[in-house]
Amino acid sequence: MKTVIEIKNLQKTYTETAVEVKAVNGVSLIFEEGEFTAIVGPSGCGKTTLLNLLGGLDAPTSGQVIIDGIDISTLSSRKIIDFRMKNIGFVFQAYNLIPVLTAKENAEFIMQLQNKSKVERETRIAELFKAIGIEGKEDIRPSRLSGGQQQRVAVARALASKPKFILADEPTANLDSVATSELLDIMRKLNEEENITFIFATHDQRVIDRARRVVYLEDGVVTKDELKE
Amino acid sequence: MNYINFKIAWRNIWRNKLRSSVVIAAVTVGLFGGLASTGVMKGMVMDLVENAIQSQVSHIQVHNEHFVENNEIEYLMEESSEILSKVRLEASVIGVSQRTKSFGMASTASKGLGVMINGVEPENEKTVTNIFEKINEGEYFESDKKNRIIISEKLAKKLNAKLKSKIVLTFQDYEGNLSGASFKVEAIYQTQNSTFDMMNVFVKKVDIDRLLMLPDHSSHEIAILLTNEEVTQATTERINKLIPNYLVEAWYDIDPYLNMSYSMTSFMLFIFMSIIMLALGFAIVNTMLMVVLERTKELGMIMAIGMNRFKVFKMIMWETTMLALVGGLFGILISWIFTWYYGDVGIDISIVGEGFATIGYSSVMYPVLEFIDYIEVVIMVMLTGIIASIFPTIRALKMKPAEATRAG
Repeated sequence: MKTVIEIKNLQKTYTETAVEVKAVNGVSLIFEEGEFTAIVGPSGCGKTTLLNLLGGLDAPTSGQVIIDGIDISTLSSRKIIDFRMKNIGFVFQAYNLIPVLTAKENAEFIMQLQNKSKVERETRIAELFKAIGIEGKEDIRPSRLSGGQQQRVAVARALASKPKFILADEPTANLDSVATSELLDIMRKLNEEENITFIFATHDQRVIDRARRVVYLEDGVVTKDELKE
Repeated sequence: MNYINFKIAWRNIWRNKLRSSVVIAAVTVGLFGGLASTGVMKGMVMDLVENAIQSQVSHIQVHNEHFVENNEIEYLMEESSEILSKVRLEASVIGVSQRTKSFGMASTASKGLGVMINGVEPENEKTVTNIFEKINEGEYFESDKKNRIIISEKLAKKLNAKLKSKIVLTFQDYEGNLSGASFKVEAIYQTQNSTFDMMNVFVKKVDIDRLLMLPDHSSHEIAILLTNEEVTQATTERINKLIPNYLVEAWYDIDPYLNMSYSMTSFMLFIFMSIIMLALGFAIVNTMLMVVLERTKELGMIMAIGMNRFKVFKMIMWETTMLALVGGLFGILISWIFTWYYGDVGIDISIVGEGFATIGYSSVMYPVLEFIDYIEVVIMVMLTGIIASIFPTIRALKMKPAEATRAG
């Protein structure tokens, strides 16, 4: 299996408050292509911080995040934005769709930033909307979509530019059980059929149950790294 | 063409219709105020210039340069008639007239006042000034009789004179002796410049030349009217080459105040609009700061998924500029309608117009705005939008995507 991300002795310490907080404390992990991994733990254990470090949204205090042989913690802020756009897909808890764009426009947003042609965008979005089961919703704005549908559009947006992996931060936190189950089915299907790597930060048991690998975090330290299959 | 930034910016304007409408209304009213008042001012000044050219200075004047310095009557142009013939050959010249000018005293039984005596050739004078159209009573030098005078209504009141009244003009003749003669009021005129009216009386050149004992074919001033104002500079230069011994001046050199008023209107537009746009700029900055604050999560997300800082700046700048431009276009449209309508029918300010008339302004104002004025305002609105977007954008760019995406 090809290594997608390697993190070495990663540390993130917050010093803004009087008390120094070590959100991530010496974590070393390897994520391989095609993984469906859940990073789990109680609130405040450092899951989101770890995910942000993996995605280059935050810089580590020390340690390395190596993606495709590049230590992204050494990249300039300009280069890291470009790197994220080309290599990483994000799914957020609150969907974070742009309300003034339609579902289709939201999904193709990154492709527009990458100056992809209209034909390329249309083909890719049609393919994705079919795969995630929201065909026919292309011209509807987010406010008129259900939470589950919005999150599917967010997944389509994350996948649109064919990133190396998807980072999903509590993607099911705002969804009911039916929508959660349908979303996880879609993600799992994409993972199995298209070998897309998914890394979740979650404390949702339904996600943990569907994950093939579960990394347990506590106080910023990996306490258990479990391969379920 | 990738126009996603433009699309998002445009749609974002209408996300909060009430707030955007308030800003648009403020820009509309502000621009209309600035443009309309500038249009009125410009119209007044253009009217002032036009009237001054038509009834007083003409486009070009020729003098003996010493006469210009101290108005002494001995500084003549001795080949005046010959100059007239030469100047008439210029294609852009539509009228030429020679004048004798002398300061003197106009007196009636009740009062005496200092005046400028203008000795004119009536038929030639009609081709360069429109005083003959400003006659309220009597006829413009219709009579062949000697010593007829045309005075203004204002002067007539001061001197207690009427049509056919006798007025005694006293002056210094060519040899330095005090001289005088009685003139009969043949007509009474009124221009819109009461200062000019108080100062100027018109007599036939042949009469005053005889009384002043001036040499034949001489004059103090040659006035030239052209086909239009645009050819003034070029024609002045050509006439100057034709008669290099005399001083040939365009209206803007003869009356620098007139020229300054003309140039000032464009500058005033710039100053007016700068002040208005500065005030509106603060309102726009305030609105856009609220917008940025409200969209923390959204901006954080788009930065997280790969929109670089320059594109974020462009997006906010587009939104701010378009917000200002929508208001700007409404303001320009209303101003254009205002100028189009009142430029035709005029705005009557006769209630307060008397004060204006003393300095040559008409009591009916016709607002004027040129195409370049609108272009200038559009550029200023766009610049305001761009400048007003800087501060909100800086606030937006300070956000950390990781924190912004999790913000409540």
